[in-house]
Amino acid sequence: MMLTIIDLLGKGVWAGVAAIGFAILFNVPKRTLLPISILACLGTMTKFLCMNLGLGIIFSSFVGATIVGLCGMYAARKYYGPPLVFSIPSVIPMVPGVFAYNMMLGLLDLSSKMNQEEYIQVLSHTTNNGLKALFIIMGLATGVALPMLIARKESIKRIEHNKN
Amino acid sequence: MNTIEKDDTLHVGTTLLEIGSLLMSSGASTMRIRHTMNRIAHALGFNIELMITHRALLLTLSDEDGEHLFSRIKRISPHGVNFKMVSGISHMSWNIVDEKWGLEKINKEIDRLKSQAHYPRIIILTCVALADAGFCHNIGGGWIEMLIACIATFCGLFVRQEFMKKQFNPYICVFLAALTASIIAATSKFIPYEIMTNKALATSVLFLIPGVPLINSITDLIDGNLQNGIIRGINGLMLCFAIACGLLITALIFKLQLI
Repeated sequence: MMLTIIDLLGKGVWAGVAAIGFAILFNVPKRTLLPISILACLGTMTKFLCMNLGLGIIFSSFVGATIVGLCGMYAARKYYGPPLVFSIPSVIPMVPGVFAYNMMLGLLDLSSKMNQEEYIQVLSHTTNNGLKALFIIMGLATGVALPMLIARKESIKRIEHNKN
Repeated sequence: MNTIEKDDTLHVGTTLLEIGSLLMSSGASTMRIRHTMNRIAHALGFNIELMITHRALLLTLSDEDGEHLFSRIKRISPHGVNFKMVSGISHMSWNIVDEKWGLEKINKEIDRLKSQAHYPRIIILTCVALADAGFCHNIGGGWIEMLIACIATFCGLFVRQEFMKKQFNPYICVFLAALTASIIAATSKFIPYEIMTNKALATSVLFLIPGVPLINSITDLIDGNLQNGIIRGINGLMLCFAIACGLLITALIFKLQLI
């Protein structure tokens, strides 16, 4: 599938809108809304770019979340707030919601299937969706946490303090 | 630095427990709660030992010689994500360290943070509805599907808020919201126009996805707080299950093929 720049920008902008919606649902401080939407836009665009390069959805999500985590550290310093306030709403547009409830629907479906052939088909579908959901979520959380884990600091503020 | 008399240990202990329980119910990770409470306690001149679980907090306070002063357990109120609180408490903890705030000022700040308003309801509803339209665009829906997802989300979130207000079980609230949103999205099947009903249906319930519990679950697991990580993960899966039930019933009513 070819991805044009317009498509990519469109996806990024709508991901930014989605992130703002969730940020408001999570009641973030007003000053962080703009950085959150920019972070989400960057992260999602990176994800779709990687997918277009053939990296697969799991690794692409991980790369996107890492970008969000890195920029989130910068934003946390610039706009004063814990990094999680910036990074969690920004990765919400990448959370594999459809996979997660497809897995649940599959599980419910499995409990009523008797026919062997159908059963195997639904089983493979369910396992596939479930594993994708699990690994994407793990990729997102690891990607967001990675910059902080590498910096080995519990707080962005302390890094600044130590520098002075 | 240590301006607080020993008689105040009771007040220090209850304040620390209050801060911890506010952080837990606002959606902070276990590691963050531990660090923040340690930071504040040390700034006030105490040592603490903590046990943090999903719905209760156990604190033992001792002075610098290790003499036992205070132990108490506190129940944590039900969870509702509130990042203004997390951000505010983080600021406060650094002010306590840097500007040597006293206990009275800390309590005043906590009261101020608690009384902070949420965004107006209509703004929350509109923005979340637009967010779902965004999701719909990103999985390949057109303008019509986006509009349908938008309306469905608006109604679904409204139903959820109403039932939350009446203090129903949280999973029931999510189930009813998923049911409402998916029924509205599924009625688009009857519009005499070519519509990808499945895409509208799949995105109309995405606003219910428990992103914060799931991400916090993995964060806790990475930090080694395995117990809390597992509990948060199961909470997230229960919410997914409630959403799937809502979708399944809609599929039965409208005879839709979901998978």
